[in-house]
Amino acid sequence: MTAPTPFTHVVFDGRRLTLDRRAEGRRLRADSRCFDGPPVQGAYAHVCAGADAEARLPFDTPEVQQARRDALASWIPRLGASFVCLTTLAVDAVDCGGAITVARDPAAFASDPFARLFPGTVVRTDLFADVSPPAGPVIERYAGAPWPGGGF
Amino acid sequence: MTNDNASVAATTAVDPALEAALALERGAPFPDLDLPDHTGRPRRLSELAGGDPIALIFSRGWWCPKEQRHLRELAQLQDEFEVAYARIVVVSVDPVEVQGAFRAGLGARFTFLSDADRRWLPRLGLGETTDTVHEPYQPAAFTLLPDLSVHRVYDGYWYWGRPTMEEVRRDMREISRSVRADWELPRA
Repeated sequence: MTAPTPFTHVVFDGRRLTLDRRAEGRRLRADSRCFDGPPVQGAYAHVCAGADAEARLPFDTPEVQQARRDALASWIPRLGASFVCLTTLAVDAVDCGGAITVARDPAAFASDPFARLFPGTVVRTDLFADVSPPAGPVIERYAGAPWPGGGF
Repeated sequence: MTNDNASVAATTAVDPALEAALALERGAPFPDLDLPDHTGRPRRLSELAGGDPIALIFSRGWWCPKEQRHLRELAQLQDEFEVAYARIVVVSVDPVEVQGAFRAGLGARFTFLSDADRRWLPRLGLGETTDTVHEPYQPAAFTLLPDLSVHRVYDGYWYWGRPTMEEVRRDMREISRSVRADWELPRA
């Protein structure tokens, strides 16, 4: 099995989200699969992250683990067919800078479990591709890749 | 009652529909099931494996008290699976929306696959022929390697034939040991 590229950098300035690495804002690692296929036009990204470099928590803290459990248990099923993709945002091999959930309809974003970690911002976006939701129950990360990406 | 190295349908092989199940034995490749998950999204078993070992559970359905009991136990075990790079997948004939509700009631975070159309049931030879009302799957469990080859088979028609949580742990350990190149940390 060929190991997938572990992450792609996104840049978030608190309002806008881009893959332009020269843009001003905070660079965060996202699951590369979210950018591998044809982008879904006119989708909505719920960016639960801060532009401030201090907005970070270790992936292993209980609140970050529980947000991932809640995503598997109820958040993804709740989005149903609206779901496009989901990625946590890694600052480095240890810290989580938040998460992005992308959907065709933003109506359910108030229930995003990752908004408990960092406040959510809704961004209209054409960047993200459809990715099958994580199968669960695994919440551990593979080789430092942003959850749910990576694999052995 | 654990059927090591045994076909799950070996005791009912007189039914021609069950002949396909004779291939579901230790070392054999398990079919790459393509079924909708509990949200209705099409999934493949290989995709759900994602390179990890799988405990694959065939369940009668939400209505069976034995299934409720066994799946509650698996929902407890998921706390170990979530940190151990292994997967749990449940297949039943329950419709998608019923599976979604049942899964939520169990507090499960693993994937359910719906074979409500009985598309795979006869091909796998896992129909419970004694239940002509629900036409469900015969309770059975398979522990699979990441490439979907069968590690061990359990015939759960009688409740005691199902894998205990200790047996699931044992199988996951055996599979992980065989597929993880770094199972034993290299000595400096």
